[in-house]
Amino acid sequence: MNLNSVSQILDFAIEKEEEAAQFYRNLAAKMGQQHVGEVFESFAREEMEHKAKLLAVRQGNMTLIDSQRVTDLKIGDHLVEVVLSPDLDYKQALIVAMKAEKAAFQLYQGLASSTDDANLKGILLTLAKEEARHKLRFEIEYEENFLREN
Amino acid sequence: MSEGEKKQLDLKRREMPKQPPEVRRYNFSEVALGYTPELAIEEAKRCIQCKKPSCIANCPVEINIPGFLKKVAEGDFVGGIRVLKDKNCLPAVCGRVCPQEEQCEKTCVFHKKGGQIAIGRIERFLADWEAQQSESEMPDMPPRSGRKVAIVGGGPAGLTVAGDLIKFGHEVTVFEALHKMGGVLVYGIPEFRLPKAIVNREVEYLRKLGVELVTDFVVGKTRTIDSILEEYDAVFVGSGAGLPWFMEIPGENLNGVYSANEYLTRLNLMKGFLFPKYHTPVKSHRKVAVVGGGNVAMDCARSALRLGAESRIIYRRSREELPARLEEVENAEEEGVIFDFLTLPLRYIGDENGWVKAIECQKMELGEPDASGRRKPIPIEGSEVIYPLDAVVCAIGNSPNPLIGATTPGLKIGKKGNIEADEKTGATSREKIWAGGDVVTGAATVILAMGAGRFAARSIHEYLSSL
Repeated sequence: MNLNSVSQILDFAIEKEEEAAQFYRNLAAKMGQQHVGEVFESFAREEMEHKAKLLAVRQGNMTLIDSQRVTDLKIGDHLVEVVLSPDLDYKQALIVAMKAEKAAFQLYQGLASSTDDANLKGILLTLAKEEARHKLRFEIEYEENFLREN
Repeated sequence: MSEGEKKQLDLKRREMPKQPPEVRRYNFSEVALGYTPELAIEEAKRCIQCKKPSCIANCPVEINIPGFLKKVAEGDFVGGIRVLKDKNCLPAVCGRVCPQEEQCEKTCVFHKKGGQIAIGRIERFLADWEAQQSESEMPDMPPRSGRKVAIVGGGPAGLTVAGDLIKFGHEVTVFEALHKMGGVLVYGIPEFRLPKAIVNREVEYLRKLGVELVTDFVVGKTRTIDSILEEYDAVFVGSGAGLPWFMEIPGENLNGVYSANEYLTRLNLMKGFLFPKYHTPVKSHRKVAVVGGGNVAMDCARSALRLGAESRIIYRRSREELPARLEEVENAEEEGVIFDFLTLPLRYIGDENGWVKAIECQKMELGEPDASGRRKPIPIEGSEVIYPLDAVVCAIGNSPNPLIGATTPGLKIGKKGNIEADEKTGATSREKIWAGGDVVTGAATVILAMGAGRFAARSIHEYLSSL
């Protein structure tokens, strides 16, 4: 993996979004309950939206904005890993997504800490923040649906 | 009322006698003791009989509230119960567990001054008064229509549909999975809040009206809905939300970690607290933590207390955000339940024999308000705390059992496992199948389930009348 330029980093990130979409599509196809399959399909569509955004950035049609701090509710951090099976429900689907976004966040953070190039570090940290934002989106959905009484 | 007749407004709500906290925390008898006839009449007399009563509009089952209050004020309890039962087949239940403070009483014209009429307490009084009479008055029944309706689930939604449809002249059968009718009213709500004799009484009333009640019948296993539809003209699904959620944190498989459903069912339905009279004892715990902040969490914590344990509620937000009824929170506080607010369980710790022995929690602080105005709890790093205990009850919510959806092709299911149904009619994606209550909304209140049942009953009746 060569991540020595902004262009290479963006290609890597685009590939990761495609991989994530494929991961959700595969899960959707395996679900025993149609409504859970539809949840994973919607996650896959979101990943494709992220990919489209990064493609636009690479083509120069958009810039990645390192906006304000992203709140970390840490809801997914203490939850046990979900064992993937056809019997997953909506709650477990959200846990899978929170964990995946957290892993993506940590990947970019790790890559950022391994380079001394300020420009590359900046873009990697911005990508990490994007993933933190995706994680927050799933945490909020989880909280609103499954932590109402807690 | 003309200017000349204007009388002094009485804004003082009559208190309902209760068992003192130091007594009731050691027994499972009902906490509230109910109005005397004198108190009920005094309270009902405070109603000014608004020309456009907003209380009715805020009752999910549209009870003529000023109508029954007027009768009680006149001392005509027979007339009062007649008005009440015209719209509500479970008045003794609703008088006890309805959140009136969020519904009819909230829109009472006296509410702003804190003197709203105690509608629920009077409703409860009337129902209990009727139960003490030698015989309940039965309504005039219409001729039989020859149409048959099957109801899946004998909880509040199903029983309301049954009560309404039998009075429309249809033949009604209720199929209940458990060995007793009542659903959450019998397995979920404790004796000290809703005595089971009251539920049995209301169920018995439906039986006298002619409703056929079948227990130990799991629709989806014993017979599918499609098989039932070969004999019936319509089906209403009111199977509730009986699938408990857990926190999904490490240690939830340890012994001594219960779902609220299991814990309450062992006590309320299986009468574990009455061992050896009943043969299903519950384990005595010394220190119990209940995770959650709703009415179910309060029920669990107060039950644990009555079984002799030190009982604490662990809740992620602050007291102001507790979703439980204020009355239940105050009752729990008076009885000695400990509250740990802004506290999040991280994991359960087990002993060498696989029993839970402690819970590790983290303290939270409330962040900035989000778009809905609610402040989200955010963990405080380094604030972890460990509480020793020997039982945990997880009371954070439920979703519907997936059985009906899995065995009924074409029935549209929402992403939380709920049946999708029209809000106003209960109609589902399948012809001849209606649904309502917790199986549609997820776990909610008894009265909302009854309201959904009422709308569905009307829609089913319209359909049957068109055949």
